[in-house]
Amino acid sequence: MSTAQPHVPDVSIEDRLYTVKYRDAGESHLGVKNPDVCVDCTTNECMQVCPAAVWTVEEDSDGVPSIAYENCLECGTCRFGCPYDNVEWEYPKTGGGVVFKQG
Amino acid sequence: MSANGTESGALQLPKLQSETPNYNDTYDAIIVGAGLAGTAAALTMAREGLDVLMLERGPAPGTKNVFGGVLYTPTIRELVDIDSAPMERYIAEKRFSMLTSNGDETAVSMRPGAWRDEPHNDSYTVLRRRFDEWFAKQAVEAGATLITETTVTGLIRDGHKIVGVETDRPDGEIRAPVVVLAEGANSLVSEGADLKDRPEREEVAVSVKEVFKLDRETIDDRFHLDGDAGAAYHYFGDGAVGEAVGGGFVYTNKRSVSVGVAYRIEDAAHGQTPEATLNAFESHPAVAPLIRGGRRIEYSAHVIPEGGAKAMPDLVHDGAVVVGDAAGLVLNNGVHLEGTNMAVESGYHAGKAIVAALADDRSDEAALAAYPRDLEDSFVVQNLRHYDWFQRTIADDRQFLFEDLPRALADAETEYFKMDRSSKDEHTDAARDRLLDAAGGWFGAAKRAWRFRRMLS
Repeated sequence: MSTAQPHVPDVSIEDRLYTVKYRDAGESHLGVKNPDVCVDCTTNECMQVCPAAVWTVEEDSDGVPSIAYENCLECGTCRFGCPYDNVEWEYPKTGGGVVFKQG
Repeated sequence: MSANGTESGALQLPKLQSETPNYNDTYDAIIVGAGLAGTAAALTMAREGLDVLMLERGPAPGTKNVFGGVLYTPTIRELVDIDSAPMERYIAEKRFSMLTSNGDETAVSMRPGAWRDEPHNDSYTVLRRRFDEWFAKQAVEAGATLITETTVTGLIRDGHKIVGVETDRPDGEIRAPVVVLAEGANSLVSEGADLKDRPEREEVAVSVKEVFKLDRETIDDRFHLDGDAGAAYHYFGDGAVGEAVGGGFVYTNKRSVSVGVAYRIEDAAHGQTPEATLNAFESHPAVAPLIRGGRRIEYSAHVIPEGGAKAMPDLVHDGAVVVGDAAGLVLNNGVHLEGTNMAVESGYHAGKAIVAALADDRSDEAALAAYPRDLEDSFVVQNLRHYDWFQRTIADDRQFLFEDLPRALADAETEYFKMDRSSKDEHTDAARDRLLDAAGGWFGAAKRAWRFRRMLS
């Protein structure tokens, strides 16, 4: 982070997520219901709406997003953001996932 | 807050280890989620002598919960002694501010003297982790049982009637006459059991928030505060949330400042990402100096149900009630941003209705009907119904409200106060022209005034 910026220093999503405490649930609580829907999707709204860079559609991929579930803030935005209702979203098991200290 | 990173907090609570003890028929009610709605329900029932079980998926109450920052406490005050509650600051100032993306700001600030006096208009900034944990502890002290790190995965039915919950614990079924669904905005259990539909994307907002650590003196100086006084700043216009429908906020805590934006997921899906929106807001010349030098201590995000009264699901079922965010009880009419108070109110009314129903040895929908009836008569549903028009109307008028009007105001201010050698008359004419142009002339201004008259009626 630079302090030379006139206003708020530029901050990366990694910097922001670094402030968040997690307990690894060991397995993903997120998924796609039907990968074929992702293959046909051109708008990648899951990627647009997620505040935590969980969903990434690689340029050279078949269009099915990779899921960095360990970044997930459990906000639920992708659940509503996908216009095809194709996001599989569960609560992480047995206390896993994000642990907010402030909220 | 424990500095060493232990997550279970100060509560000494029974914990499920490997095997689930047989809790069937041990409890009168099971509460899914130990947030504000669930805890208010648990407290209300425990005070009346019911045995209630609160199931919380996080390692402690509050660990999964996010809100902007201001808690309104009239009902909480009735349930617990709030003098011992972990409040941050009382709200001494409310400020409403229009920002343009050109860096203009036009603000209205209010600091009624009455807010400085107890009970401070029942308005306090809080941090959910601390507050929710404390609130749940009050329920435990009243006799409720709290089990953390336990996720409810589904409901058990006997025919039509809901008779318990399934959890992610081994042999994790627990049966009880009533289940209170207080699971929040991501109401997977209620949706999975067909108690409600998943809200439409247009009716859900995303909020991203950061907490910046600043020392107390710096906060007092920047926001003109002293003692426990605090400030709630709300921001509108394209300088706050770009092309989206929503707003930004800055709230003062004791030794930190909460900063964030909230706007429709619809707008995020169309390319206005939460990250870029937050960056632009935090960089705005009206906002940046407030948080300058602050250390980021937490980034968080959550969805907010904003469908209003029309989107409210059925609140009562055979053997179950739905409360708080799970029931969509959030009010956002631009000026009033409320939800946690409505969550508490709904939990309270649900708790009372369950007590009365179980006294007659019943838990069917008709026996629990006092809950929706009382909630309908309370400020919760009254306010939701009163402002049901609001979200749609501002969405229809976004261009004017969020772009044209803030810019016209800034231009008019610039004209009106311009220091040159022309007369004040000329400046006044120029300022008025700017405003009228934006509003579509006298006729357009009158039409808009009529459309928004209900804000004041």
